[in-house]
Amino acid sequence: MGVKGGLHTTGAKWFMIESQRHSYHLVDPSPWPISGSLGALATTVGGVMYMHSFQGGATLLSLGLIFLLYTMFVWWRDVLRESTLEGHHTKAVQLGPRYGSILFIVSEVMFLFAFFWASSHSSLAPTVEIGGIWPPKGIGVLDPWEIPLLNTPILPSSGAAVTWAHHAILAGKEKRAVYALVATVLLALVSTGFQGMEYYQAPSTISDSIYGSTFFLATGFHGFHVIIGTLFLIVCGIRQYLGHLTKKHHVGFEAAAWYWHFVDVVRLFPFVSIYWWGGI
Amino acid sequence: MASAAARSGLRSLVARATPARRRMSSSAHDDAYETAKWEKITYAGIVTCTLLAAYNLSKGHPHFDEPPAYPYLHIRNKEFPWGPDGLFEKKDHH
Repeated sequence: MGVKGGLHTTGAKWFMIESQRHSYHLVDPSPWPISGSLGALATTVGGVMYMHSFQGGATLLSLGLIFLLYTMFVWWRDVLRESTLEGHHTKAVQLGPRYGSILFIVSEVMFLFAFFWASSHSSLAPTVEIGGIWPPKGIGVLDPWEIPLLNTPILPSSGAAVTWAHHAILAGKEKRAVYALVATVLLALVSTGFQGMEYYQAPSTISDSIYGSTFFLATGFHGFHVIIGTLFLIVCGIRQYLGHLTKKHHVGFEAAAWYWHFVDVVRLFPFVSIYWWGGI
Repeated sequence: MASAAARSGLRSLVARATPARRRMSSSAHDDAYETAKWEKITYAGIVTCTLLAAYNLSKGHPHFDEPPAYPYLHIRNKEFPWGPDGLFEKKDHH
């Protein structure tokens, strides 16, 4: 344990690591929880002010977001140092982020389920106010066999690339794993590009009836999850390039891969239920 | 495809959850084989997506007629903080 202390270990800390008789990580005091809370406060207050056109709203919102992003960066930087340089992430400690990631993805499934519920609720028995039909009278819909169909196999292909990266890490093929993650991220970016193009060409907006509301809420939140997953994978790619990930210890990568499989499998639901069935 | 990816994810999840005995049985050779297999699957996916993109994009953009002003369409009760148009709106009416 002590040998993994790394260059940054001070004498006192060295003693503590040496004398530790358990495999848990007792974290040091950190300013990031309170700075994250203040950033979140500024972001919400600034966001409300901006949406109600208050003076200074945009400034407070921007400062809040910058503060929040800074906190995320330095907090995760600290976690990476604790894991890679200080060697605090023992097998017992790794269980924490593992369970945390699984529970987070389960909560994400429930979150997206609500949007598909809203879409099905509105489309299975369309009300008289929208003409009693789905899509509502006057709503132009995208042809599901054009960009929506094109965008559907791109994400599972990206999912195949992340599986390639996973096996490359397990096999100790470090360079191949970097290439595989680059392929994963490129496919993800192409998918986001096509989604943007689709939104630009779409004949309706989020303010066009319950169709627009449910369509853009579900596909927009899915697209947002694709962007988050892409950032997660970019960080994994950089960490793989820097040699942080080993055959036996790559929890961060595994969490990104699980999240990515969740995102690419979920894409099939809007394609079948919203674009295809909901567009007929 | 998606189910295969999910299965592989689940398999690695189980492999991680079970103790060291299980890890010993999957040698580096198996991982090298799987790496090569998924690399080929990725290339097949990229080729399929490229062909589909070429076919789809060659068909050109769809055009839609302006619908009648039904009360449930284009509901805008106040201006956006950034101006009168939505973020992805085409501005052909100006």
